[in-house]
Amino acid sequence: MEQHSDTFLANASKALKNSGQAERRDKIGLLAPQIRAAAIHSFDGFDELRQHVKEVRQHSLNNLDYYLSQFEKEAVQNGNQVHFARDSEEFNSLILDICQQHDARRIAKGKSMVTEETGLNSFLQGAGLNVRETDLGEYIVQQAGETPSHIVRPALHKSANDIRELFQQKHDLGARKLDKTSDLVVEARNVLRKDFLQAEVGVIGANALIAENGYSMLVTNEGNGDLCANLPKVLIVCTTIDRVLPRAEDASAMSRLLARSATGQPQSCYTSFYSGPRREGDIDGPLETHFVLLDNERSNILSSDYREILECIRCAACLDHCPIYTSVGGHAYGSIYPGPIGSVLTPLLTSLEQSHLLPNACTSCGRCAEVCPADIPLPDLLRDLRHEEGIKKLSPQRWRYGLKLHAWLARHPPLYQTLTAIGIRILHRLGRKRGRFSRLPFADGWTSQRDFPAPQENTFMQLYKAKMKQNNER
Amino acid sequence: MSGSARSEIFSRLRETGRGETAENIQRERLSLGSAPAPAPPAPEMCQAFILNVLKNQGSVDCASNRSEAVRAIAHYLYAHFHSYRLVAGNDPRLAAMPWRDAGVLPRFGSLQAGEPVALSFARLGVVETGAILTWTGKANPAANNFLPEHHIVLVDKNDLVPTMEKAWEKIHHAVEKTGRPRGIHFIAGPSSTADIEGDLVYGAHGPQRWHVILLGDVPGDAQNVARDASKPQS
Ligand code: SF4
Repeated sequence: MEQHSDTFLANASKALKNSGQAERRDKIGLLAPQIRAAAIHSFDGFDELRQHVKEVRQHSLNNLDYYLSQFEKEAVQNGNQVHFARDSEEFNSLILDICQQHDARRIAKGKSMVTEETGLNSFLQGAGLNVRETDLGEYIVQQAGETPSHIVRPALHKSANDIRELFQQKHDLGARKLDKTSDLVVEARNVLRKDFLQAEVGVIGANALIAENGYSMLVTNEGNGDLCANLPKVLIVCTTIDRVLPRAEDASAMSRLLARSATGQPQSCYTSFYSGPRREGDIDGPLETHFVLLDNERSNILSSDYREILECIRCAACLDHCPIYTSVGGHAYGSIYPGPIGSVLTPLLTSLEQSHLLPNACTSCGRCAEVCPADIPLPDLLRDLRHEEGIKKLSPQRWRYGLKLHAWLARHPPLYQTLTAIGIRILHRLGRKRGRFSRLPFADGWTSQRDFPAPQENTFMQLYKAKMKQNNER
Repeated sequence: MSGSARSEIFSRLRETGRGETAENIQRERLSLGSAPAPAPPAPEMCQAFILNVLKNQGSVDCASNRSEAVRAIAHYLYAHFHSYRLVAGNDPRLAAMPWRDAGVLPRFGSLQAGEPVALSFARLGVVETGAILTWTGKANPAANNFLPEHHIVLVDKNDLVPTMEKAWEKIHHAVEKTGRPRGIHFIAGPSSTADIEGDLVYGAHGPQRWHVILLGDVPGDAQNVARDASKPQS
């Protein structure tokens, strides 16, 4: 995984200056929560469902060795080959080996965050293979030589016009016009249809693995993943070891949460379960199927205090509701997983040293935890990572001393209240005339964008105490 | 490589696992029970199913018997393609339809390039999601679900189930005899994408249109819902 989270602040400043992209992010930040809320309000038992799935997920993770080996046994019985990879390198090599065993040149790929994490595409391309992303958003991003900026909507950062120009550059268009959005979709559909039909190997992700019967679950709206799973002669299903659920019903229960949280649908258009190669009498489907299951730190996370992050179902609701994500967008995070989920996961998959700025990309507003269908306490996990960051002395000295001073003051309330009262009074006096400040020392982050209102004369605590005194006297 | 990776991963998982017996693990899973499902949009199953199919941007027709179903299919094909041709899997239930009554010309097999319409006979219809269920095999090759421009699906009213849990019960029961099919598909609408500026477009890779025909003794109210929904389109 190529990563540049260490330049988060610079990336974010750059992103804020791109007004077109900021507008599209604003739109998502406004619309996606409304769509999700409508879907959830029409389902009375949503919270109960969330709790049920959480219990099942915790139960599966508590007994992951049991369920993973049950899954493996069933999957092998279904005719699959099951492979395990400790890290990205092993994972990519396993997949290249399978492709080379079949002399494959063309790979049709469905959307898979895990393969983004391991950098599979560039690895296979480096070995001379032709890899085609087939999810429309991923295809656009691949054509542009970029990375996804959102887990569910990879090309969120691009306008229709950007995409039109991209296709004009990359496709041999002839007389074809691309005026409307639907023209762009048809264009991609036609180009990709050929790729599906020619590919020797299909690669897809899995939203869940089912221990009791060895099936994997794939949820999509476009149907591209299903074409990858059904047309090429060889199918490789890629996911991580923590995705196992005990039963098929559990996967369906999870899909109830996923579809509503990601796109506000009761069910995505296609929820497919795949068990293995072509059966006797089948007239289509792959002849050989593989599961490649990646660990890449999951087994370590499982034994850490951050294990709840493994319960994530990758719905992206936390991105859509995050004031930081919707302001700066996915690319600013410099990692495959952006937003609150990414700010927790990235340091755990790489290192806090490389990614310690990400847990600071948080206002502690708590919206992510409120909407997370997996009920993951994201703000708590982010705070814990910041705490570790402090212990490891990774943040700038100025921040650390500032926080230490604040913590010391907060532990001495009378002094804290006296000092804040003095500060507020000074600010009140200085700003009395104009009612606001256009510049303030230590607060240029605020005042560079907007004025700081001059405070009232008294602090909240002073007003509160006065009020209580009044009440007691009455 | 995979062998040592496997043993290393499993040994790490065993360290963090609880080391419970299979029996205890299964007992614990049982004690967690089943997930709650959303309430249907109408108390009567057919009506609720039709409402959810419409919500999924499918179109719906009702047919009280097989002749009517064939006529409904003929009508649909002519309205959209000025043709009576379609492709269908080798499903005995489809082979037994009175195709000639309405002049429909089915070809049985897997959809080929240039063929725009496929017909499937659903194994089940799921009321909760307005989805239809098919699985791969001779009776319904996967290509017929995902490659046509229009996908027509017949659902027998008696095959409606209220929730996905009930669907799995039926699937488990059915595959006990036949073995596990390669692919099981819950399909809820035409293929769609909102990847370009959030604009919803149908026919991303799979079908642009998804037409469901509910077969059997469908109550009048449910039929009215289907009829009303089809009016503005005709
Ligand atoms: S952390 Fe929660 S909200 Fe965020 S992607 Fe994962 S499941 Fe969705």
